[in-house]
Amino acid sequence: MPGGIALEFPQLYFTGLWLTIQISVLGLISAVILGTLVAVMRVSPIAPLRWIGAAYVEFFRNTPLVVQLFFLFLGLPLIGLRFSTDTFENIFRAAAIGMGLYHGAYVAEVVRGGLLGVDRGQIEAARSLGLSYPQMLRYVQLPQTFRSVIPPLGNIGIALVKNTSLASTIGVAELLYAAEIVESRTFRAEEAFIAATLLYLALTIPLGIVVNALERRMLVVR
Amino acid sequence: MGVISRVFALGFVLAFIATACTGGGTAAPSPTAAASASTSTRPRLELSTYQYALQTKGKIRIGTQEDNTPFSVKNPATGKWDGFDVAYGREIAKAIFGPSDDPDKFIEYVPVTSATRIPSLTDNKADVIIKTFTINDDRKKQIDFTDVYFRTGQRILVKKDNTSIKEAADLAGKTVCAQRGSTSEQNISTATSNAARLLLLDSYPACLLALQQGQADAVSTDETILFGLAKQDANTKIVGKYFSTELYGIGVKKSVGGDRTGFVDFLNRAQVAMITSGAWATLYEKYISPVSFDKKRTPDD
Repeated sequence: MPGGIALEFPQLYFTGLWLTIQISVLGLISAVILGTLVAVMRVSPIAPLRWIGAAYVEFFRNTPLVVQLFFLFLGLPLIGLRFSTDTFENIFRAAAIGMGLYHGAYVAEVVRGGLLGVDRGQIEAARSLGLSYPQMLRYVQLPQTFRSVIPPLGNIGIALVKNTSLASTIGVAELLYAAEIVESRTFRAEEAFIAATLLYLALTIPLGIVVNALERRMLVVR
Repeated sequence: MGVISRVFALGFVLAFIATACTGGGTAAPSPTAAASASTSTRPRLELSTYQYALQTKGKIRIGTQEDNTPFSVKNPATGKWDGFDVAYGREIAKAIFGPSDDPDKFIEYVPVTSATRIPSLTDNKADVIIKTFTINDDRKKQIDFTDVYFRTGQRILVKKDNTSIKEAADLAGKTVCAQRGSTSEQNISTATSNAARLLLLDSYPACLLALQQGQADAVSTDETILFGLAKQDANTKIVGKYFSTELYGIGVKKSVGGDRTGFVDFLNRAQVAMITSGAWATLYEKYISPVSFDKKRTPDD
């Protein structure tokens, strides 16, 4: 049975899968929150906020995720910052935060596009009805944005799940790490990586289906 | 529209074929030119062997690691390779292609990590792996090894002020850094009955950094690699007895349908020649003695 090797090493594969899920979920939530905040900053009327937002996006989008993870793991302690005194808790948090920061930059760009795509007339109408800028964002611009950005957000989510595999480079015992350990113990490389591939698919395919369903439900007929 | 796109498609295909042909065309003459220049000095090799095939091709692909002092290091500034394993590879290149001031012209370096050593042989990405490669029975099922060209053992690197870790058994409950997919990692588990907390990274310099920051209590691997790390950081020390014997061999793909005929024998003979001529001792003195403070004439000393 393809992937059967996972049952021979359940401890490695399934704790690995669980870590992958945890990092994905935490990373996704922080990426969406951070990305939305930055997107709002980038379209805000206040110039310094726009600059900060732009700097964040350009930095995190244009440097490799592996480098960012290494920086969070081995770079920050050089300036006395650590997410936890326990090494394994530290690398786990570094991985989750790294996922959030990196993908947050992509989310920010997608959401910014969505915000700019909202019909100008709606914004003007909201302002002329006496809504303040934050109220207008909250009740008019953002709700419409979220509907339109669900498909690209889904893509980012799926990419994020796959990118969690890079956490293995800083020692997080996630799914790819499990496959590498099993490979070095058994020398059954194909089986070890097929098992990991199937488990990744078990996460990404359902995620894709959920996104498609959401997209259909939230579709705006214009 | 259809016609235009078809014309474009055809153009692309032609361009692709043209590039492919010129690519092959320019690659082919250069080894021949290099070979004919040195025909007189080229060792005579038996026609059916893999070493002859390599000599004809004019290149040997040597798989080694980019940051594995004192065995193999790629200088990030110059791109030049150096170290015991690298120099050993150059000796092999000379045995195949004849004496040369610059054996690197016959060598294509393939960067590998511990985890990619066996796949790069089985997928035929490298002809030999010379990378602190421990010979063991599991690996022998996958690939062939030459005779032992280097002998060492696993020890422990800790900070100078550490007094709690003295032997392998003391690693139980401690965070120990090693390279993912290496025998070192498995030796630690065995020595501590799985009681050590393993922080498994891709390279030992990263492990050293983790040790310096207190994110790891110890780094454990073959002594020779620890020598290199201890040399980089004077605030560390190597402790404990050998808790494993590591015998390094050169990895070669198993001969399937005669595609590696005579290669391992050839490498073994080349090593005997290196030991007899004193070339092995020279390499040891140049690369290992500065960190180990001893001298060896053969791997078994």
